Amino acid sequence: MTKTEWVGADVIRIDAKDKVRGVLKYMSDLSFPNMIYGAVLRSKHPHALIKKINTKRAKELDGVVTVLTHEDVPGLNGFGIAIPDQPVLCSDKVRYMGDAIALVGAESKEIAERALELIEVEYQPLPVVCDPEQAMLSSSPKVHETGNLHNHVKIERGNVEAAFKEAQVVVENTYFTPRQMHAFLEPESGVAAIDEDKNITIWCGGQHPYRDQLQVARALGMNPRKIRIVNTPTGGAFGGKDEITVQIHLALLVLHTGRPAKIVLSREESVIAGMKRHPMRIHMKTAAAADGTILANEARVVSDTGAYASLGGPVIGFAIEHSCGAYRVENVKLEGFCVYTNNGVAGAFRGFGANQVTFAVETQLDMIAEKLGMDKLEIRKRNALRSGDIAALGHQMEASVGLLRTLEAAENSRLWQLKEEFKAKPSAPHKKRGIGIACSFQGCGLGKGLPDYGAASVELLPNGQFAIGVSCPEIGQGNTTAFAQMAADYIRCSVDDIVVLSGDTGHTLDSGTSTASRSIYTGGNALKHAVQNLHNAISPIAAEILCVPEDDISFGHGKIVSKSCPDKILSFKDIAEYITARGLSIKSEGHFIWPVSETELEGYVGIPHLLYSYITQIALVEVNTLTGETEVIEAVSVPDPGKAINPQGVEGQSEGGVVMGMGYALTEDTIIKEGMTLTRNFSTYILPTSLDMPCKIETIIAEELEPSGPFGAKGIGEAVCVPISPAITNAIHDAVKVWIKQIPATPERVYTALKSREVS
Amino acid sequence: MKKAEPKHKRLISFTVNGDDIEVEISASDRLIDVLRNKLRLTGTKEGCGIGECGACTVLMDGAPVNSCLVPAFQAEGSVIETVEGLDASGKLHPLQEAFVEHTAIQCGYCTPGMLMSALALLREHPEPTREEITRAISGNLCRCTGYHQIIAAIEDASAKMKTTE
Ligand code: FES
Ligand code: FES
Repeated sequence: MTKTEWVGADVIRIDAKDKVRGVLKYMSDLSFPNMIYGAVLRSKHPHALIKKINTKRAKELDGVVTVLTHEDVPGLNGFGIAIPDQPVLCSDKVRYMGDAIALVGAESKEIAERALELIEVEYQPLPVVCDPEQAMLSSSPKVHETGNLHNHVKIERGNVEAAFKEAQVVVENTYFTPRQMHAFLEPESGVAAIDEDKNITIWCGGQHPYRDQLQVARALGMNPRKIRIVNTPTGGAFGGKDEITVQIHLALLVLHTGRPAKIVLSREESVIAGMKRHPMRIHMKTAAAADGTILANEARVVSDTGAYASLGGPVIGFAIEHSCGAYRVENVKLEGFCVYTNNGVAGAFRGFGANQVTFAVETQLDMIAEKLGMDKLEIRKRNALRSGDIAALGHQMEASVGLLRTLEAAENSRLWQLKEEFKAKPSAPHKKRGIGIACSFQGCGLGKGLPDYGAASVELLPNGQFAIGVSCPEIGQGNTTAFAQMAADYIRCSVDDIVVLSGDTGHTLDSGTSTASRSIYTGGNALKHAVQNLHNAISPIAAEILCVPEDDISFGHGKIVSKSCPDKILSFKDIAEYITARGLSIKSEGHFIWPVSETELEGYVGIPHLLYSYITQIALVEVNTLTGETEVIEAVSVPDPGKAINPQGVEGQSEGGVVMGMGYALTEDTIIKEGMTLTRNFSTYILPTSLDMPCKIETIIAEELEPSGPFGAKGIGEAVCVPISPAITNAIHDAVKVWIKQIPATPERVYTALKSREVS
Repeated sequence: MKKAEPKHKRLISFTVNGDDIEVEISASDRLIDVLRNKLRLTGTKEGCGIGECGACTVLMDGAPVNSCLVPAFQAEGSVIETVEGLDASGKLHPLQEAFVEHTAIQCGYCTPGMLMSALALLREHPEPTREEITRAISGNLCRCTGYHQIIAAIEDASAKMKTTE
């Protein structure tokens, strides 16, 4: 590979300047003349039949422009990435408190909200289904007619029973994980407009504009081409804007009124109606030999997807795929259930099911190490997947495997090397310190059986700059900057000469989602092909101008040179002027289809993956033995993203991931009781603030280059928030000798565990 | 036909980013509504509406306030500064420059509020300790960055502002 000029450098984010100046327009910042304001009537019950909806009084309120119900949905009254089981506007039944029943469009937000109070809905409440285990019993009330078990995954290899018998140690535990909230700072919001020909444009934060387009078109019964979706910029998403949020409601408002419309969810509405991470109950039994080799792992995972499927099916599959950690395990018996309840809705969330099972398996591993008197890092090294190994689902690790590299770098980190010193100096006598380590891997891309592709465009602009287009939205992760860096190195021009178009069905080809740690790999590979085509288009023109044969043309450092006669040089601007003068243009496309694993798991889609990113994380904690409070003092994060296109960006991801995973381990949980959300805002749902974060987060990038990746890149957006959670709970054990089996490890939980330890 | 209740409108005047402003408000308007909807200063963001996230932070007579909690009429006669005023000279403020250089921005939704809290801090304490910085932005939630790059940026801005004095 030729040396890169931009890839691997800390190039400044292309959107940074507009963001610090406050001039970048997020979707809710947009306004149009004659615009109406939308508000959504949500259910009053977590589970009920709808007997009657009367909108008459609301319609009569001065300033109300329209009140819409299920009768006004022209197409399919449903949405959902996997299956469209969530009504756009409910007709006969509500299944959670966020269910939408009616939609008001009014001259002002206040009027729209007042109108909501005038809509009369007659309900017949049904028993609330709140425990996923019980929901699976045939005696349970049904959330959906099809039954409460949405998806079931079962994988068996080898013979776990025999392994349990011959093992030196067997540990068996039940773990519980919380309903984490994405808590993006920008609530779900957007604006829409419609023209005389009924073409609709929707500006709304999201993660896959083309799928939004499809879902909107389906609900409206319209040709998708008449709908344009713009997702960039999005004020944070983390998976929580992968599903439809307000797009279809916006489309209905503009369709029925002919006027532009805006919807902005309040934070409370966002908490109640929006996606969450699946809470899981994980029963795990793990066996190991005397030398620490894992012999078998058995897991039973029950996942609460709430009222609707969204990506609950793929999430449980992903959880099962990752339930043995990034380790070699020959005997497995893994079973997962994704269950409907009336507990809100759960869907995609950074980590996609890996977070829950990683917490379980990484705790199991520490327990085994403890029993065997083994070093915690050593046991991970012993079992770490290597290239060519067979992973839990029986699939071969065909792509680059960087786990060992991350473990070695973690071992050499200052925190691990000096761990006894760090632990020896707690800030008060009643405080105890501990260090914990954990690893994980993260399947990149959508996995086997799901179409996964990308496309990109490159256009030579009249001024000699280039416009590149990739539709994976900029949700804050920095992919647009990385695309610019990769494009500049492929084209061989300055990164300052790249203009990036992003997340817009009107101006970018379909490159799929900004999810699944996939956008850098997909967009980069598509760009690579697009630039090859661009060079192929430029070469004959350059040859013509320079009067040399086409194969004599080469591209280097912002210029086009004749190989045989190096003083014959053109700039891209020369080419641009030449073609513009002749009324021509150069715009090329590149398409890329994801490679997939050779292993076929019959009956399942989305598993296994071919490509994984790897990571090891370490936490130093201090536990207050009087209050049970845990503070994370320092953390080390060692990701293997493949090539780090923008190291400073990877560091930012890593630090943000550590703090998000810390929240998951220690404070964050959306409490739903009997279908009612109790933690409705940031005073009860506790996000880490600047006062809570570790004083130091050291990120060590351990690049294991992936030959099929652009410049060797894979993806790292998700893995960074995963193993830190069990690293923290393992550190709590190291400090005070209690095993945390339920997160978040709140002060009450830790305190109770400390007390019961004293008793026993 | 049921009529919407008539709104109590009144005129207030105050200064925003150095400009004298007179604007008609209704009793229920909050300062953030006036800034975003009437003056089209959409740099100030709304993340929660109830004083818990800091995305709406602006300076009111030099002090950081959550503009979602300030009734608009209270702004009468006050001096308001928003993110749009930071580079009024045509040049990025050192804080803005440092945020850019340190990638203290990801989705950017918390950024305007962060900048305003940081500005208030640096005016009060031109050479803050790390502890003071951490405290000054503790009311500003950021879900993306993990805060480190933000704190580094504020430290750097303080150093740069000192040398250019
Ligand atoms: S919007 Fe004002 S504090 Fe959150
Ligand atoms: S950068 Fe996204 S919330 Fe701070």
